[in-house]
Amino acid sequence: MLKHLAGRLAEALVALLLMSLVIFLLSRVIGDPVALLLSDSATEADRQMLIAQLGLDQPGWRQYLTFLGNALKGDFGQSVTAGREDALHLVLSRLPASLSLAGIALLFTLVVGILLGVLAAVTRGTVADLAVRLLALLGQSAPSFWLGIMLIYLFAVKLGWLPTSGFGGAVYYVLPALTLGLFTLAAITRLVRASMLEALGSEYVKLARIKGVSEWAVVLRHALGNSLIPVVTFMGTFFATMITGAVVVETVFAWPGIGRLAYESIMARDFPVIQTVVLVITAFFILANLIVDLLYLAIDPRMRARS
Amino acid sequence: MKHLTPRRRAAVMGASALALLAASPGTAETLTVAIPTFSEQTMTPWAGSGQRKTYLDLVYDYLVYLDADGNAQPGLATSWEMKNEGQTWTFHLREGVPFSDDSCGTVTAEDVAYSIERIIDEDSRAGPASTMRRVIDSAEVVDEHTVRLNLKAPDFLLATGYMGEAQQVGIVCKSYIEAQGEGADSAMPVGSGPYVVSESVDGSEITLSLREGVEHWRVSPDFDTISFKAVPEEATRVAMLQAGEADIAPVSFDSIPGLEGSDLRIVSAEKTWSPVIRLGGIVQTDPERFNPDNPWADVRVRQAMNYAVDKQTIIDELFQGEGTVANGDTPIAAWDSVEPYPYDPERARELLAEAGYADGFDMTLKTFTTTPGAELPLMAEAVALYWADVGINVTIEPGDWPSIRAEWTSGKPLDFAMTHRGFPFANPENGVEAGFSTKSLFASFTSDTLEEKLAGLGAETDPAKRTQRLTDIGQYLRDEAANVFMVLANEPYGVGPRVGDWGIDTSYVYNFDQAELAE
Repeated sequence: MLKHLAGRLAEALVALLLMSLVIFLLSRVIGDPVALLLSDSATEADRQMLIAQLGLDQPGWRQYLTFLGNALKGDFGQSVTAGREDALHLVLSRLPASLSLAGIALLFTLVVGILLGVLAAVTRGTVADLAVRLLALLGQSAPSFWLGIMLIYLFAVKLGWLPTSGFGGAVYYVLPALTLGLFTLAAITRLVRASMLEALGSEYVKLARIKGVSEWAVVLRHALGNSLIPVVTFMGTFFATMITGAVVVETVFAWPGIGRLAYESIMARDFPVIQTVVLVITAFFILANLIVDLLYLAIDPRMRARS
Repeated sequence: MKHLTPRRRAAVMGASALALLAASPGTAETLTVAIPTFSEQTMTPWAGSGQRKTYLDLVYDYLVYLDADGNAQPGLATSWEMKNEGQTWTFHLREGVPFSDDSCGTVTAEDVAYSIERIIDEDSRAGPASTMRRVIDSAEVVDEHTVRLNLKAPDFLLATGYMGEAQQVGIVCKSYIEAQGEGADSAMPVGSGPYVVSESVDGSEITLSLREGVEHWRVSPDFDTISFKAVPEEATRVAMLQAGEADIAPVSFDSIPGLEGSDLRIVSAEKTWSPVIRLGGIVQTDPERFNPDNPWADVRVRQAMNYAVDKQTIIDELFQGEGTVANGDTPIAAWDSVEPYPYDPERARELLAEAGYADGFDMTLKTFTTTPGAELPLMAEAVALYWADVGINVTIEPGDWPSIRAEWTSGKPLDFAMTHRGFPFANPENGVEAGFSTKSLFASFTSDTLEEKLAGLGAETDPAKRTQRLTDIGQYLRDEAANVFMVLANEPYGVGPRVGDWGIDTSYVYNFDQAELAE
């Protein structure tokens, strides 16, 4: 068990290291902040001065090693644009807004998605099943950008029930969480429906029925328990969808999270902030997958036996 | 992340306690302004771009203000004089203007000299810093209320230009900034403006409170609080206006018809920006940046490209009529007499044939969106259709401004054109220099004749003759078809029913402190 965990941690570190190289290279492919920071009447001398100030006159490999060395010491550099604020501090200060939104969206999708999935499976072939499948199809195909604006118009402008956007108390979470969660909700619904159908047709469910176990107990204890294993498997991916989806949703809903920070720093070619955002997100992916692994050990007896 | 100084935190807590005690409706009115970005959200004039002026203009005062016609009005400086052929400027300061922090006292020459020196410092991130460095040599304290600026080169428009409200030299309290040390960039601002920043939540909200017990020398605002919200998505800003969550927000031309018929109205800043198509590779005075292979290296082709486009129709359809056909790449009063190119596709075909392009040619047009400037890609498509009509086949390449700007300023002989938004410069000569002087990285067109004309303008000391020279340059740029001039466009704001009288005259000058509360 411990050996397994240590192995996973070592893998995580390698993944982070590789990611740091990839993002370092990628962010440089898209240009540099110099042209953006220069005023319209700037001269060649102004440009050279700015390049030197930003340390961009150094060869690429040296810039990377400097970045890596500093990052190991916890120094991710200063934002090129945001008043030279510490990049890590900037990212961490935006993190709670994103995590709370992703957390609430994930919770909502899990509860509703599992309920709908079970409903569709036990009412297979009926109108209810068709309605759930239609909803799932819509959720997976509607772009979140469009969906967000439609929800704002309906619930904030037309009905006046909820605020259009912004960051604040519980009511501010409803629309962005719904927008962020709908894709995953659809995925979970389809996943649960499929695995419930498989479980309901399995030998052990047939046995339970023959033994006279009530239909409720068959569905909830025997079938659902086993059907949730694939959901757990995909939890890490779902969480990833939430964080990456945040780039669009946070922009539409003026949500001050890391998704919008990522977008804004890319538009400003703010290398230190781009690198830090991506590394922090990567770290969260790895952490989420690690937790999923551990959960897996806890719920699936076959895994426990193997490790 | 919230920035609150201990003093201010106590003040805010005290104020909220008072507000709870005396909570009666109508005593505290809040104006909510939704804007696309806070930019760096730093609070000192030199720690970021001019986009922060939307909120900083209410916190800092400037030496010189402008009236609706662009004439100089006294600001923190009540009078000023230029000597030594434009190389020495003396500003006489208004006395007894208190800073928002008691420890700072009133605005003195020390504060003004410090503010100017700080903004031209090497690590300044202010937009005009580099050009100001080229002009300003030193700022000298003559006495408590007199500052003298010694220039490296003549600047005949320094007062309304760099020292004016349209630029970034907001006057800070020297002792407060020095006490902040390294943290000055993230410190809460202390200025002499009508409002103080009471809270700044990163990426989300900036709250300004009206200074209590201070009769400001310039304005007496109706709103006790102004709340700025950063809302990047335009559709969301429009929804905020419709839901009554925002009182003022910039909107796109596209949204105007949808807002009509409601209790909202549109207030436009007139001719504040100028969509234009800049042709690459015609920096003719620099062999590195001149590309003679471009068909538009020939002036007749450039003129044809101007004649071929029905700009008025584009204004009516894409800009909801909010603009006029452009005679230049930026709105400059001295160019008012310059006639824009009329729509004349026949003339365009003739000119192309004369230049040897009777069968037209292929070209690339790069485009991107900005705020304002959501219409640029559509404008590119419309122009491409008009050009196709005279045989010019355009491939449109959508991109983003950072990449296109980097390519544009790369110093290479460019072979493409781009849509761009031209902005008025506080000092029109800076705008001309940025667009058309060889030494500017951004220049889109240069010529030896133009260099001579620019040098002549720089050396001219008589104000009337300077205007004449500027007009002559505008006419030359027009005749040379230096760009494909498109629109002198307005900048529309959606305004809600809680706001009474409010208008906005020019870009770069933000007067939300003058918004009146509706009766």
